[in-house]
Amino acid sequence: MAVIFKIDNIECSYGAVKVLNGLTFAIERGSFTGIIGPNGSGKSTLLKSLSRVLKPVKGAVLLDKEDLYSLDIRDVAKKVAVVPQETAVNFSFTVKDVVIMGRSPHLGLLQNEGEKDFAVARLAMELTNTYHLADRPITAISGGERQRVIIAKALAQEPRIILLDEPTSHLDINHQIEILSLLRRLNRENNLTIISVFHDLNLASQYCDSLILMNNGSIFTIGEPDEALTMENIKEVYGANVLVRKHPVTGRPSVVLLSQDSQPGLQKGRVHVVCGGGAGAAILGLLAGHGYDISAGVLNAGDVDWETARFLGVKTADETPFLPISERSHQENLKLIGEAEVCILVNIPFGRGNLKNLEALSLALERSIPVLIIEEQEIGERDFTGGKAAQIYNSLIEKGAVVLNDKAALVDMLKDIIPVKSQPSDLQADNQ
Amino acid sequence: MNQNDRVWQRQFLILLLLALLGLTVIICTTIGPAGIGFTDVLTMLLRRIPWLGSLIPRGDWPENYETIVFQMRLARVILAALVGAGLAASGVVLQGLFVNPMADPYILGISQGAALGATAAMMSGIGLQALGIYAVPLIAFGGGLGTSIVVYNLARVGNRVQMSTLLLAGIAVGLFLSAITSYIMITSGQNVHQILFWMIGGFSGRSWNHVKVLLPYFIVGYSLMRLYARKLNIILLGEEPAQHLGIDVERMKKILLVAATLTTASAVSVSGVIAFVGLIVPHAVRLVVGPDHRVLLPASALTGAIFLIVADALARTAAAPEEIPVGIITALCGGPFFIYLLRKKNNPGF
Repeated sequence: MAVIFKIDNIECSYGAVKVLNGLTFAIERGSFTGIIGPNGSGKSTLLKSLSRVLKPVKGAVLLDKEDLYSLDIRDVAKKVAVVPQETAVNFSFTVKDVVIMGRSPHLGLLQNEGEKDFAVARLAMELTNTYHLADRPITAISGGERQRVIIAKALAQEPRIILLDEPTSHLDINHQIEILSLLRRLNRENNLTIISVFHDLNLASQYCDSLILMNNGSIFTIGEPDEALTMENIKEVYGANVLVRKHPVTGRPSVVLLSQDSQPGLQKGRVHVVCGGGAGAAILGLLAGHGYDISAGVLNAGDVDWETARFLGVKTADETPFLPISERSHQENLKLIGEAEVCILVNIPFGRGNLKNLEALSLALERSIPVLIIEEQEIGERDFTGGKAAQIYNSLIEKGAVVLNDKAALVDMLKDIIPVKSQPSDLQADNQ
Repeated sequence: MNQNDRVWQRQFLILLLLALLGLTVIICTTIGPAGIGFTDVLTMLLRRIPWLGSLIPRGDWPENYETIVFQMRLARVILAALVGAGLAASGVVLQGLFVNPMADPYILGISQGAALGATAAMMSGIGLQALGIYAVPLIAFGGGLGTSIVVYNLARVGNRVQMSTLLLAGIAVGLFLSAITSYIMITSGQNVHQILFWMIGGFSGRSWNHVKVLLPYFIVGYSLMRLYARKLNIILLGEEPAQHLGIDVERMKKILLVAATLTTASAVSVSGVIAFVGLIVPHAVRLVVGPDHRVLLPASALTGAIFLIVADALARTAAAPEEIPVGIITALCGGPFFIYLLRKKNNPGF
């Protein structure tokens, strides 16, 4: 693919404050690029320098191999359109009045819009599904509709590139998806090059071909979403602990925020969770949010706890779906238990298939690994082995397993058992 | 999209206003101590049309009536029309340019700056040597332009111009400049009537000479404004969006500020400071024709012309035989209107 925008080592400043510092990259024709990064990292400034509003003090921006800032402003507007975050609406133009303004770069000083201009504007409104609003005042339509109208105005410019600055950040989620899907359709079907600043990492990941991750006025990394959006990158740039997993439907990376009650960046010890069927998902999430290293087993592949474990990056001992725990998976489970500093038994029912999980915990206690039992229901009510499970369960308690009646007490309990041991992370070192 | 209907509607509206203006000119020319009738004035005017005029028979009016109509009344009516058109058009452009529905050459102090320039030129006699009275508008223009630059920069904080700050700065600077104008006139021994003329504005004793002084500047200023009418619409979206549509906003602002100031200054040079025309007329017209400057600008200019001709007719007759300055009439209308606009909540403005 041909390069349409080439950014060569640009530096931008507002007065004495340098905002962009030596950026170099290229944008390919027909691509959909997202610019992401924390507040103040220079995303909007970068967009301004691409839209011929803010001339870089150093370096060059090349549009089709020509210097953007030596081109006539009207010629640039025939190729590049911009959609801002929000457009002021203190005037009573109709929707079609606003859309036809997009024809301005194609008109001379005294020229009025002709047949062709109205045809282009109409097409732009049809593409953005705003034609039915044509005669309504721009002040009398919803925020989502207004943003579609502004996109129609941009399309009426017949540009080859559309630059957008967080185009959906003021909109409800349905409108966000509507507008981004529209942009992607235009990108795919009309070969329109799209460069957009995103605030929401998941939207960026879902819609962009490539992402520019910015940090402190420089490019931290550029790449496809799964290269740019990694847990390490986000932690480094945003200073946030998140989980990045493949979206089950789109296959794109998906960023999940965890509750961060714990001090960030502290490595905590390993906790092994015995769960299954969905009873353990909340506990797994709670532990992950508090920064514990977690393992779980034995889980039947594909069940809810297994999915959750996968999502959270938890090591598991797996068993084939619907089969009882085999000797192999039992041994794996024991291995994981051996590496853990504490085991947790979640409130699960027992049948013949998972009885081995109780035996494994019995062995844990014998190896003097503490076991915490979360009991929300009497064991008798969830023993489907004719008393066998209850027998082992009670023997665990006799051997010193601690019974908790409430998940909430778990975190405090763990703090007593596993002391924080490792050093503060890089992030904290940076801040000092 | 029935864009042809819209174009036709616009042209019809402008033609209607033109016809109304013609009618106003004739009716207001009939007003005065000498009772000259409507048909007489109409006939006199028609007879002045080249070729066609000679076919129309002369009426049986006294000889001196033609002198009264052509040398006195018509000059004054035409001058009022040009001043009204100029002030209203400047008001439209300033409101669009500052994206501020309260802007007007008087409120922003531009008129007072021009008045100071004009009085200084006339009192010191600088303007009169090289170019004669044609230079007065140029020096008034200097005063007006200086004022608009000062007021704009006073109101600007960073890149933002607050609406209220702009108005306050304009009013304060305007009062300050008026005081200087008064001082110059008093110390140079002018009578109170002269001073009042510049402060309040009027057409008393104006002649074709004043029309000749005003006309070239009006044509240049108005043409420049009309040239940018379409782009003024786009400025209402904001400066950056306008740049994204290929408009060199800084250049356009300079050109339009110069055009509006030139038009205002030439009007002030011949009629003194007539307040609020640039505020009332564009607002009223906008309610009818909408925000498109391609219609708003000519329609406001025509309406401004009609408005000031009528206001001047009132000024001549209200307290006859005494004549009151027309600026009193416009201020009596404009003051309450300004307050009404200020009080109007959720003012969508445009």
